[in-house]
Amino acid sequence: MKRITCWLLLVSVGQFVGAQDLTHPTDMGLPESNFVRPDPSDYQTVLENGLTAYVARADQVPLVTLSAFIRVGTVDDDKQGAAESLLESLRHSGPANLSPDEFTATLKAMTADYVVEMHDEWTEISLNVPVEDLHLAMTLFAGIVRTPGISSENISKVALAVVPEANDLQGEDGPALYEGSLTATVDRFRDLIYADHPYGSKPSGDDFDELSVADVTEFHATYFVPGNVVLSIAGDLDIDAMHQEVAKQFGSWSRQDVSKPPTIVPAVGSKTRQHSFPAEKLQSWLVFGHHLPLVPDRDQASLEVMNYILAGGHLWTRMTIETRYKYGYTNDASGFLTQKWFGPGTYDFRSYSRPEVIKPIYKNMLDQIFRIRDEEVSVEELFVAVGALTEGTFQIQYLDGYSAARNFALEYLRYRNHERSASYVDRIRAVTGKDVLAAARKYLRPDEMQIVLVGRPENLLN
Amino acid sequence: MKTLPLLLLIAMSLIAQGAMAQSSRYDLPIKEHLFDNGLRLLVIERPDEDRVVGKIFTDMGALNETPGQLGSAHFLEHLMFKGTPTLGSRNWTVEKGLHEQINAVEDALTEALNRSRNDLRERGVFHDYQHATSSPEIDELRTLIETLNIQVLELNDEGPMKQWYQAYGGTRLTATTEQEYMKFDLDLPADRVELFLRVEADRMQNSVFRNFDAERMILVEQRLGDLNRAETDFREAMNSLVGRVSMVYVPEGYNNDFSQYTREYQRELYETYFVPNNTTLIFIGGVTLEEMVPKVDQYFGAMERKPEPARYQGREPLPSAEKRLMWRSAVLSPRIDIRYQIPGVGHPDRPHFEVLEIALAEHLRNVMQDADIDGSLDINTRVVHTTRFGVPASINFEFILADSDQAAVAEKTLLVEMARLSDENIDVTAVAFAQKALRTKWYRTAADPNSLAFEIGHFEVMDSWKTLQPYLEARDATTVDTIRKLIGRYFIAKNRSVGVVTTAEQQP
Repeated sequence: MKRITCWLLLVSVGQFVGAQDLTHPTDMGLPESNFVRPDPSDYQTVLENGLTAYVARADQVPLVTLSAFIRVGTVDDDKQGAAESLLESLRHSGPANLSPDEFTATLKAMTADYVVEMHDEWTEISLNVPVEDLHLAMTLFAGIVRTPGISSENISKVALAVVPEANDLQGEDGPALYEGSLTATVDRFRDLIYADHPYGSKPSGDDFDELSVADVTEFHATYFVPGNVVLSIAGDLDIDAMHQEVAKQFGSWSRQDVSKPPTIVPAVGSKTRQHSFPAEKLQSWLVFGHHLPLVPDRDQASLEVMNYILAGGHLWTRMTIETRYKYGYTNDASGFLTQKWFGPGTYDFRSYSRPEVIKPIYKNMLDQIFRIRDEEVSVEELFVAVGALTEGTFQIQYLDGYSAARNFALEYLRYRNHERSASYVDRIRAVTGKDVLAAARKYLRPDEMQIVLVGRPENLLN
Repeated sequence: MKTLPLLLLIAMSLIAQGAMAQSSRYDLPIKEHLFDNGLRLLVIERPDEDRVVGKIFTDMGALNETPGQLGSAHFLEHLMFKGTPTLGSRNWTVEKGLHEQINAVEDALTEALNRSRNDLRERGVFHDYQHATSSPEIDELRTLIETLNIQVLELNDEGPMKQWYQAYGGTRLTATTEQEYMKFDLDLPADRVELFLRVEADRMQNSVFRNFDAERMILVEQRLGDLNRAETDFREAMNSLVGRVSMVYVPEGYNNDFSQYTREYQRELYETYFVPNNTTLIFIGGVTLEEMVPKVDQYFGAMERKPEPARYQGREPLPSAEKRLMWRSAVLSPRIDIRYQIPGVGHPDRPHFEVLEIALAEHLRNVMQDADIDGSLDINTRVVHTTRFGVPASINFEFILADSDQAAVAEKTLLVEMARLSDENIDVTAVAFAQKALRTKWYRTAADPNSLAFEIGHFEVMDSWKTLQPYLEARDATTVDTIRKLIGRYFIAKNRSVGVVTTAEQQP
């Protein structure tokens, strides 16, 4: 009776447990949070030309990160293709005074980590280097931001790359066509949700025939101006010396008018519909959701708490419990609130699994959407979400100089103040069960779900 | 051409920096306390920080599994998220009785499966997760387990550890099991570090394996994710070509294994390895060793030292010939994969292989380009999902070809050049660049307390946390002579395994 012996062992462990402190976490008397968000004014410097920089010291290791956040994205691109061409130039050509090969060699010699991302409404350029290369890196960084090398080669390269992408959606309901994955499924979802919307606008091959180096240069000149750029610089540096360096590299940049943000039309919702992309893979991928209108400040906190309880926390959430923990259906079932700066965002839910359980996954996730719209969340759920948001995810945004400078820079670029981060904790703590219910009813729209499934045809939803 | 002198300057400074390597670059102010029961506590104090990263490493992993139960260490990690009598149960007295019944039924099920083995055994060659042998008796026992499990679920709050970690500001709640370790991670406000100790001590001593059969399907799910990648099957075949004895080359569970796990086997693993003298706690952030010692003692001090779990010492027999794998595939890009066995962390040669990896990659890319062979070269030490081991593993030269017709010439070019480099030195600037790249990579790791704590814990299970700093310093001491000697010593025909991937149409 080996089994009984084993179990007796556990029971004896249970008795031994008496020697171990097993006070329940809620009874441990854990201290109230004493976290205070850093003061952004301790980091901020503003040049006469309107350029703002956040500089922070983080001296655990001899590295420095130089970042520029620019209020321009693909949605600002009236001349289709200019944004993508500029992105290509920033990524691969560097500053105009270097050839692309020289730029690549310089990055390599510095063992730099160099990232450029252009979103719908903002752009980020980041360069992380050893402090021994800071002087060279700063010159390079300023050159990339102020005078990137824009060439017809960049435009041709992007033109070649967009052609296959334009064919992606031809596979819907047709034979299978591409490697299935969650990323590909999310891309399909976004393509559908923004099919006739500026956020979904993509240049075609023809657009590049009309596009010149002068167009891309003009696009850069319009948006890359001091008042439209916020820097974040952190690392093993001397703060005063860095302020001087910022002034030296960017002070001669002429002040110019900042373009007004684009006016983005609202999105029109559609009735719930399934979009199937058959793929002969071992798993299937599911993404479903709808538009999210611009959310007013007064609703932000309750929406965030609601999302955390429903599916946003990824671990202890209603959707994870009802798919993974109870039934072992999937590794993950989560919700994603994607808010845009000027127009409609998306609210979507994602999962993946072996094809035969996709239907119960979808059903259980949808049930939770109905449930959170029907009844107030529990006090315990509210306690967990508020704690996680205020003492977890919010705190780590200011964990060190790198993250604090970065988050302050992005907040300032978007709002031109720091009121939201200053009031964040109080706003989240003020959310009630009724607020959560109201947010669920207002922002969850089960009758407008666009359901995208990549998987085996025999297991698609009906 | 203002920039060229700049680049030259950087190249010169690279060499100068390498030459004046200082040990202080890698100073790790780790403080250690060893408790009477064998539990090891490591702390890096950062008094100005509001938060602390906590990790608990157990010296066990896939290397300790029994064939037929592969992946069981990873599965145990999943089970250890299911709570304890005091975390997750609404009525432990009743729930305990249900677990006793489930365990008894599982015994009966194992007996029934054994008894029916010759009637029911699947004699087919292949197997997948959907297959299950059965009989009316077996079906009945399985249904009974399911029924009892549903009753447990009714008494059970799912995910209690994550719930309370999240509620009190915990982030980065992850866990990982690889060949040589299992670890649980958390980042939380420093003044709440006791929560980590309370939960992890409970997890280590009192885990209850709830919802066992549903959870095993999560492993199936993760395995399917691996198999969806065209490379997986080939890479696993290459691993088995390189090694035939060492468990380091074995994947973390095949689909057939997932259905074989039993509660009894899982508990045996749990009770053997999750003992204080096989455990290391690591903290980096706003805590001190002085304040942590009594706190750790409060939660872990009552645990008794247990028999020392045996360390895995897998090593391959002396190779006697080069081995080859021909892989024809309709989906995988054509490639050449050349592998050599190399020593594990703890051996004096191992750190130099990291310099070699980078220095040789750039050199060989240029050689292939000069020979008009199109493709991309990656040199790595990855086996399954991990790149560093405390046991011998392999270094892999993976050249993905643009044209499969160039497979033979690509292989020959690589081998000829490596043979040449066993006699002649590689360019000194290539070594200097590799050293700078490794230093920068280390700084990026050390900048993040989560990554730094992982490296410390990983070295503790591979060798000792005390050898991490010398390991980093040894890389700075690598010379062109060292690289040449490594090539001559290890990159020999008898130690070589070669995989050639060609398109399915390319039949001989």
